[in-house]
Amino acid sequence: MRPFRHVRARTVEEACALLVEPGARARANAGGTDLLGALKDGIYPEPPDVVVDLKSIPGLDAIEAEDAELRVGALARLADIARSESVRTRWPIFAQAAQAVASPQIRNMATLGGNLCQEVRCWYFRYPAGLGGSIDCLRKGGPRCPAVKGDTRYHAIFEGRGCFAVCPSDTAVALAALDAAAVIEGPGGRRELPVQDLYTPLGTVLEPGEILTAVRVPPPDDGSQSVFLKFTVREPIDFAVVSVAASITLQEGACTDARLVLGAVGPRPYRALEAEARLIGAPVDDQAAAEAAEEAVAGAKPLRGNAYKVPLIRSLVGRAILAAVEG
Amino acid sequence: MQGASQIRLTVNRRTHVLTVGHAAADVDPADTLAHTLRHVLGLTGTKVSCDRGACGMCTVLLDGRAVLSCTLLTVECDGCSVVTVEGLVDPQTGALHPLQQSFVDHTAFQCGFCTPGILMSAKALLDENPVPTLAEVQEALAGNHCRCITHYHVLEAVQDAAGRIREAAPAGAVGTTEPSAGDAAPPVAPGTAGKTG
Repeated sequence: MRPFRHVRARTVEEACALLVEPGARARANAGGTDLLGALKDGIYPEPPDVVVDLKSIPGLDAIEAEDAELRVGALARLADIARSESVRTRWPIFAQAAQAVASPQIRNMATLGGNLCQEVRCWYFRYPAGLGGSIDCLRKGGPRCPAVKGDTRYHAIFEGRGCFAVCPSDTAVALAALDAAAVIEGPGGRRELPVQDLYTPLGTVLEPGEILTAVRVPPPDDGSQSVFLKFTVREPIDFAVVSVAASITLQEGACTDARLVLGAVGPRPYRALEAEARLIGAPVDDQAAAEAAEEAVAGAKPLRGNAYKVPLIRSLVGRAILAAVEG
Repeated sequence: MQGASQIRLTVNRRTHVLTVGHAAADVDPADTLAHTLRHVLGLTGTKVSCDRGACGMCTVLLDGRAVLSCTLLTVECDGCSVVTVEGLVDPQTGALHPLQQSFVDHTAFQCGFCTPGILMSAKALLDENPVPTLAEVQEALAGNHCRCITHYHVLEAVQDAAGRIREAAPAGAVGTTEPSAGDAAPPVAPGTAGKTG
């Protein structure tokens, strides 16, 4: 790694100020499992000369489950979310998604904030400088996305614009299905937005100096059941090829609310609104699940190497719907 | 605010005070814990293979949890306690840890490069869960890769070691002091102890 100055922030305000210090190129670090890999591979055209440790900010790792909401600090470890009794009981897909990430060691290090804000895994974006030079793709301010004419097997089939990398976060998919909000703090104050709106086709909405500090999850609806499914090539370590989070509310046998969110298919968690609409107002049976799964892929625009994701989504969505209603 | 000029790191029960800087014997802010263990402290039992957090070779215990030392900055481990494979032997008698002895008895390695990391992941598992099922052992070792395909022997060795540890412990001593896995056990963030040497 190129040398850098290292600062341990003590407060959110201090960290925000350090990130926009004049004359310095600073990057925030939490668990380090994403940033250190990126720095070792030298993928950034302008590598940081300051690394700001956020782990030294006290209290940002709390998991607070109350009747009104679940509030998880950005520094909470994925392992702690996955084994939190209250998260597992009341927001099980959040715990399942945290558990689905990477390996036990990484879950012991990686934080919720880092999982939500990690860089994409696109192999052009990540191409190491040590193997002939990093690639200056559109996401890094370069002229074009090399994936368009390249190998797109793990790229977007929804909502890609300019860049076709997919949001790699598993927790973002579950949190979007749970209608969670991301809390952002920065020089301009504090703001909140739905987790899926954190992402743009070229990165996140975080402004310079802003830090994701917490996630707020509303209580689950009475009668709602949820499932998180992740398809990977192998089981451990792998990022999702496609994932699905389904949350379905049944009352007197009929579906009154549904949220179906797809992961690893676009630059942000993709809500399959037409598929949700197909479920609402009727009993959920095999026929309804199959039709909703067909709706979920209706707007897909595969690139030349990733049309295989369409039948994958269809299968996973159908399975997730039926698994959710069967409890 | 500049980071602390010295950090305090306890490795295998011995506390080291290390200077942060750019001289040869210093800890550079960009140094990983794996680098410091191997090249500053001479503890070469911890191996580095992929150096990207994917293979598990560099697994050590940080405040009791299995972590990847190649993907941790040493300066962020200030005030933390680290256990490496060298810390497994009994400090009084020099006897191998039951896990190590079990690996020997089950021939649970071939080239041995992945073994220190597997031992540390297994140690973290048995410290928390003294009676793991086969599935729990598999899950705990899911982040440790072995190209010699020793997995079957490793699974037997870990389960056998769990039995040996239970037999060696006084009745009732194992499994009664483990921390709660619920919300009551807050996550331990490296360095939040706040010691600055």
